Amino acid sequence: MAIARRAEPVDLPVPVHAEAARAPGRRHLRRWLPIVIGAVMAAAMVIVAAAAPWIAPLSPSAQFSDAVLKGPGVVERHALGTDEYGRDILSRVIWGARVSLQVGLASVLFAFLIGVPLGIYAGYQGKRAEVAIMRGTDMLMAFPTLLLALIIVAALGGSLINEIVAIGVALTPNFVRLARGLTLTIRETDYVMAARGIGAGQLRVMARHVFPNALYGLIVVATLYIATAIRTEAGLSFLGLGVPPPTATWGNILSEGRQYIKCCPWITTFSGLAIMMAVLAFNIVGDALRDLLDPRLRGE
Amino acid sequence: MVQFVLRRLLIAIPMLLGAMSIVFFAMRILPGDPCVAMMGEQATTSALADCTRNLGLHRPVAVQYVDYLWRSLQFDFGNSLRQGYPVSQYIGRMFPHTFVLVMASAVVAALVGIPIGIVSALKRRNPLVDYPLRIFALLGLSMPVFWLGILLLILFSLRLDVFPLIGGGDLDGVLSMLASGEVFKYPGDFFAAVTDVLYHLTLPAIALGFTLAATVSRLSRSAMLEVISQDYIRTARAKGQAERNVVYKHALRNMMVPLLTIIGVFIAIALTGTVLTETVFTRPGLGKMLVDAIGARDYPLAQGAITVFTMIIIFVNLVVDMLYAVVDPRISFR
Repeated sequence: MAIARRAEPVDLPVPVHAEAARAPGRRHLRRWLPIVIGAVMAAAMVIVAAAAPWIAPLSPSAQFSDAVLKGPGVVERHALGTDEYGRDILSRVIWGARVSLQVGLASVLFAFLIGVPLGIYAGYQGKRAEVAIMRGTDMLMAFPTLLLALIIVAALGGSLINEIVAIGVALTPNFVRLARGLTLTIRETDYVMAARGIGAGQLRVMARHVFPNALYGLIVVATLYIATAIRTEAGLSFLGLGVPPPTATWGNILSEGRQYIKCCPWITTFSGLAIMMAVLAFNIVGDALRDLLDPRLRGE
Repeated sequence: MVQFVLRRLLIAIPMLLGAMSIVFFAMRILPGDPCVAMMGEQATTSALADCTRNLGLHRPVAVQYVDYLWRSLQFDFGNSLRQGYPVSQYIGRMFPHTFVLVMASAVVAALVGIPIGIVSALKRRNPLVDYPLRIFALLGLSMPVFWLGILLLILFSLRLDVFPLIGGGDLDGVLSMLASGEVFKYPGDFFAAVTDVLYHLTLPAIALGFTLAATVSRLSRSAMLEVISQDYIRTARAKGQAERNVVYKHALRNMMVPLLTIIGVFIAIALTGTVLTETVFTRPGLGKMLVDAIGARDYPLAQGAITVFTMIIIFVNLVVDMLYAVVDPRISFR
């Protein structure tokens, strides 16, 4: 089914071309450079988010009536300018990183913790359990991530926890599918046979043999889904369905700044740039990890 | 073949039912009374009772559920709470706007994404070509469509003043002229209306198309990589065909088959993209209607919009699967 194809890159028979005739040093650089760049960017984002109270020059909610809608650098203390309430954009963007990364990391963790056991169970058990789990997954997968998250947030109301749950639930089917796909391959390997042969129970085989061997592939995809989660969070906030204002989130800043794009484009420019950098960082890391760890997934 | 189509149809039905059930239960069972949400905490008991009765919420959930499924299949989603008239009528009016946006952005995405994917697959050993194209694909994947939309608006609408800031153009006019046959009587007016629609469509289509182009370029890259490793390509090369001919005559056509399968995924992404794109460009359409309905807590409208979205996605996937089986008969025997 076409819907099913979205997250099952494992069985794509993409050819792996040996990079012959290339100096080993350059190949090394070519492999590791993107990871380093992406990892540095992602780490910087995480540090900025964690250290927001110390790094941010001003409070994200402090209003300066003498500096309403001032451009970057016009008032010395506001390096990236201010919004319609005279709040410092730099500080708001720094604090916004907290919400984005919290939602990004927590929702992927949520999806991982629920989706992976279900997927491994479905793949390992087969039969009725598999049919039941995969049909449920197919139904959820009929909804694109943002749409499903939108439905859940609309029903639950916008808050940090609800956003995490909504995006987490929306991402879960992807993890179920991937974990099942990987399990189907691992199940047939000799070491699983051997483990079963010496009398290991189902739970033990799944936890000690299948899961660790599926982990690489799962982590790669998890990294890519952090990027998706951050983008979805920004989208929900932008639509006014995320963490409600006055909390600074990148989507909120962008959405509020939309009314002032004529006079004050800096509000939307910097918040949008922050979203893009965060998404880009995790995309680069995920892509590079995928190339590095699993050549089979390359090119998807 | 017939068996495959029937089996595929049989799978689509429970999927549609399941997806619709998710919509229904998300809207009903989760915490919060729609009437309290709509009318506020201060609403009088009798007003709330009226509202509950109008929405049919006083009936048992099972009855509501069956009623919802039955009426949805007839495209009857009740009346909009805010606008008063039937939701289906509203959806019917908004659908063409979303349809043209999805189609236009698909054209942009294909024109940009497919050549980029092909070139990056063929020139993957040349870092001067491969790296910029990969960076483009990464940027496209990472750039939120609503931010790109705002940047385009700032540049082309506010600074250069070449494209409009809001609206969707006179699509209704175009459609009614087509329906009534006035298109032959007043071709000048018709072309003016079409131009107006395209004028309003350009920036949204570019914004959505560009973000989709990244996905398309990656998928066409992997499709191309798959095809050029096939035996018949080696044969073509071995008999001395020029590389140009190998690519254009042998590889390109075969590459389109795997690409076809992604149309389903593509439409799903594009439809979701319209939610954000239509909001940024203040364009009428299903996506903006959904966001407005959720914001206004207009439950019948939101439920109707989501149901229609889901139906479209499942339907498109069904059609794509069947097309795929037609193009590649091996599929139906698996």
